[in-house]
Amino acid sequence: MDKNKSKQLVFLGLIFFIFVVYTLRLASLQLGDVPYKKMAINNALNKITLYPSRSNVFDRKGKLMVYSTQMYDLSVFPFEITKLDTGLLCSILELDIQTVRGLIADARVRAKKRQKNNSFNNSALFYANLSNKQFTLLRENIYRLDGFFIESRTDRQFATATLSHALGYLGEADEELIAADNYYQPGDLVGITGLERFYEKQIRGIKGVKTVWQDRTYTERGVVKDTQFNYPATAGPDVISSLDFVLQEYGRSLLNGKKGSIVAIEPSTGEVLAFINNPDYDPNTMVGRDRANTFKTLLRDPQKPLYNRAVKGVYPPGSTFKTVMALIAMQEGVLTPETTHGCGGGYRLGSIRVGCHPHGGPLDLRGSIRISCNSYYCQVFRDIIDNPKYGDVKLGYAALEKHLRSFGLGSPLDIDLLGESRGNIPSVSQLDRRHGDRWKSSTIISLSIGQGEILLTPLQMCNTAAIIANRGWYYSPHLVKRIEGFKDTAWDRKYKIKKFTSVSPQYFQYVIDGMSEVTKPGGTANGTGIEGIEICAKTGTAQNPHGKDHSIYIAFAPKDNPKIAIAVLVENGGYGATWAAPIANLMIEKYLQGKPESSKPEMEERIKTSVIQ
Amino acid sequence: MRYRPLASNNQEKIDSLAIFLYVVLLLIGFVSIASATSDVNQAFYDLSDVAIKQLVFIVGAILIIFTIVFSNVVVIDYFAYGFYAVAITLNILVLFLGREISGAKSWFGFGGFGIQPSEFAKVATAIALSKFLGTYGVRFQGWKNIATALGIFLLPMAIILIQNDTGSALVFLSFFLVLYREGLPGYILMSAVWLGILAIFRIISEATGVSSFYGYGFLLGIGSIVVFFVRKDRGIAILVTTIAVVSSLFYTIVGTFYLKILQQYQRDRIELVLGLKEDDRGLGFNLKQSKIAIGAGELWGRGYLKGTQTKMGFVPEQHTDFIFDAIGEEWGFVGSTLFLLIFCGLLVRLVIIAERQSTVFGRVLGYSLASVLFFHMSINIGMTMGLVPTIGIPLPFISAGGSSLWAFTLFLFTFLRVDQVRK
Repeated sequence: MDKNKSKQLVFLGLIFFIFVVYTLRLASLQLGDVPYKKMAINNALNKITLYPSRSNVFDRKGKLMVYSTQMYDLSVFPFEITKLDTGLLCSILELDIQTVRGLIADARVRAKKRQKNNSFNNSALFYANLSNKQFTLLRENIYRLDGFFIESRTDRQFATATLSHALGYLGEADEELIAADNYYQPGDLVGITGLERFYEKQIRGIKGVKTVWQDRTYTERGVVKDTQFNYPATAGPDVISSLDFVLQEYGRSLLNGKKGSIVAIEPSTGEVLAFINNPDYDPNTMVGRDRANTFKTLLRDPQKPLYNRAVKGVYPPGSTFKTVMALIAMQEGVLTPETTHGCGGGYRLGSIRVGCHPHGGPLDLRGSIRISCNSYYCQVFRDIIDNPKYGDVKLGYAALEKHLRSFGLGSPLDIDLLGESRGNIPSVSQLDRRHGDRWKSSTIISLSIGQGEILLTPLQMCNTAAIIANRGWYYSPHLVKRIEGFKDTAWDRKYKIKKFTSVSPQYFQYVIDGMSEVTKPGGTANGTGIEGIEICAKTGTAQNPHGKDHSIYIAFAPKDNPKIAIAVLVENGGYGATWAAPIANLMIEKYLQGKPESSKPEMEERIKTSVIQ
Repeated sequence: MRYRPLASNNQEKIDSLAIFLYVVLLLIGFVSIASATSDVNQAFYDLSDVAIKQLVFIVGAILIIFTIVFSNVVVIDYFAYGFYAVAITLNILVLFLGREISGAKSWFGFGGFGIQPSEFAKVATAIALSKFLGTYGVRFQGWKNIATALGIFLLPMAIILIQNDTGSALVFLSFFLVLYREGLPGYILMSAVWLGILAIFRIISEATGVSSFYGYGFLLGIGSIVVFFVRKDRGIAILVTTIAVVSSLFYTIVGTFYLKILQQYQRDRIELVLGLKEDDRGLGFNLKQSKIAIGAGELWGRGYLKGTQTKMGFVPEQHTDFIFDAIGEEWGFVGSTLFLLIFCGLLVRLVIIAERQSTVFGRVLGYSLASVLFFHMSINIGMTMGLVPTIGIPLPFISAGGSSLWAFTLFLFTFLRVDQVRK
């Protein structure tokens, strides 16, 4: 072959070679398995989360109790930081350089986690809850901070400081939650306690998405027109709480200086009217930047302000439990309203003695409640469990226990809050463990007057009052009346179905008659009653092995067609009549009469200003 | 073969296939630039500034074409060294008067426009080389002639290296291909390829920390074995020994050069292309984004004006050095292959035209053009696909920019004009 010809062929061969190699390379890139197209789309599309407002929460009369406010975060595309003016960032955020570097490193780790399909456009929260000053400074200087941008979301504002334990607080979603529910992103706020937690899924609303084209510098270059990529955020629906704002505020003021709880329920619906603990905390300190610090302080506080004693605290119900004992005894047929028992200043049986305060001799049922005679109920208790029809004390006790459980005791009442305690109604086996196998009615006689192993939460005490008010039934207590546009059959099943006790309605009248005399002359809470309101009540004084007795009081009013049932517990308050009774009666007055002034200003003043150490 | 000056008699028709392919490439270029520099949700007729500027350059190119077509072809021959001298002077001047753009001082700035003399140096060098090799009595033999021929293109290459425009300088290596056609022995090019392979192996062993002794062992071991078997034929034995020793020596030099002379960023760049380094940010980011752009095209492409990778600046230099990404992303495998076919078609056509020249001048000019275009095309497209190190040279006729377009238009039409008087 001609030498020149062959050299020409070398040239053409070279061109052909490159053409083939490059075509193969094109094929491997464009027809291969690597999802380059997806990567390209991930690069250029930025889904901006539109945060919804959380629900507004109203009280039963339409007063706005919690609402959402705007809050700003500083976020960053951590891999886009080129020339960072660290000094500027430090001075705006008032952080030292080490902290800022740490935050950037953190953001990188988190952004990397979110990185899918090798796209680089993942941002991470850098600094949450900017203060107003920081926000203003950043908004002016953001163009000098490559890769940083300000995001907005909502936080909470509470109309009053008294709602802490009912409504709860928010916190940042932790990693566990983020892993479990892909609705949440780091930095998202989520209800941690209270209604905010229980109704989180309804209250949080629905996040929206705005999909935009973005260029390499993450600058927005127009909205993607395809509507499937864009939908607005939907605010959480209005939540109508059952709480009465005025009553809540008033109750909290009465508890000033005292440790304890007030729970009030509307008996006909199970709606909680007031839900108050002291100590509590101002929920408005648990928002924004200070949340974490406040939380730490509250957690360390020896007063335990985070402790929701209304549903978590358990106390012996003391004499208030006599009402329940009387009802069960009547149901069991061992007690009639006319049954009388004598009392010689106490109940004696062998070595056992249950003391009683001095009062006139033999009492009937009505009188035993009015005066709260211990001896009477020791006898009633023994009549119940030593009932010959059972033949054995344990069978007798089992019958009692079953009745008690029908009052919703010994198990959670299913209020719409998490962490509710079950209290304690001892089972036979628990008594066996405690007293040995061979116990008798006299061994556990203290149960008759609400002492010993029986423990109730303030909520259960209040619910007991509601049951008596209803003459034998209750709805599970709940703090939410309704959520607009929210229908849930499971919720309805829980809160809209009556639960009946095993005590027939006809027996309640006799106990109620006794309770209606408690605030009258000769009653244990004489002098604390309110003119014009027939209050049915029972005082209690719970022995407390750790200190002074707890002052307890359950009540409802009016006697016919009751509107409010209430339980008040004042820790270390001594006699039920001393603190709990006046507080409860003032609450009843406030709720039923709705006047700004109490008819008993001195009592009100004394309660508000006294402090129990 | 005639060694004579060009004459303007006996003119043939200008080669219409080459012109057709040129026009097609120009259109593809303009359309791609318009897309790569437009915004999302922007219509085609709503041209970007870069596209409008390119339109001006195209008009300029047309003026150049008409000037060449209507001027006397003898001028090219007569002023061949003159053009060369002007080009060299301009490239030296730019060192002092030029504007520095991304580290390279290779631009004369005129307001918003810039002229890159190194682009024009290619065509001037090609004409000068053609003139020299086409001179009666000059053969590609004898060290003096060889040195002159080499000097003609190594001089501008050196100057452009000083301008710190490595990419443009490397282009001048394509003249070796021309010399091959003109008589440079094939084994020299083969040796160059062999040394290239050696260099790559040495770099891989350095970068991966494999001891370089394996390389020496291999070279000297294989060498010894071969020498043992051919020991009867002293000539071959000496040749093999020489190859083994020289190769080992070169192997050492590359190692030293790589470790001691090259800067870290240069090493990074090389290692990145050799696939020895993963780097999703910085250097690797560009390469990765370029691959994503092309890969995203899939079979049929994402559609014209719909290439987000190129539009949104994920691909660097998306309208100049990385313009092929726009073609790959928007027209897919089908479109890019077709584009390659068109470009290679032009190259083949130029080789054919070059071969039909009756003068050495014409043939050298044709091969110079084909070689330079080939070099540009393979380096540029290879770079966007990650086959070749990132070397910033434009894709002729496609990339945005006036200097490159005008220089290559000048080059192509000078040659086509010479082709008209080939007989």
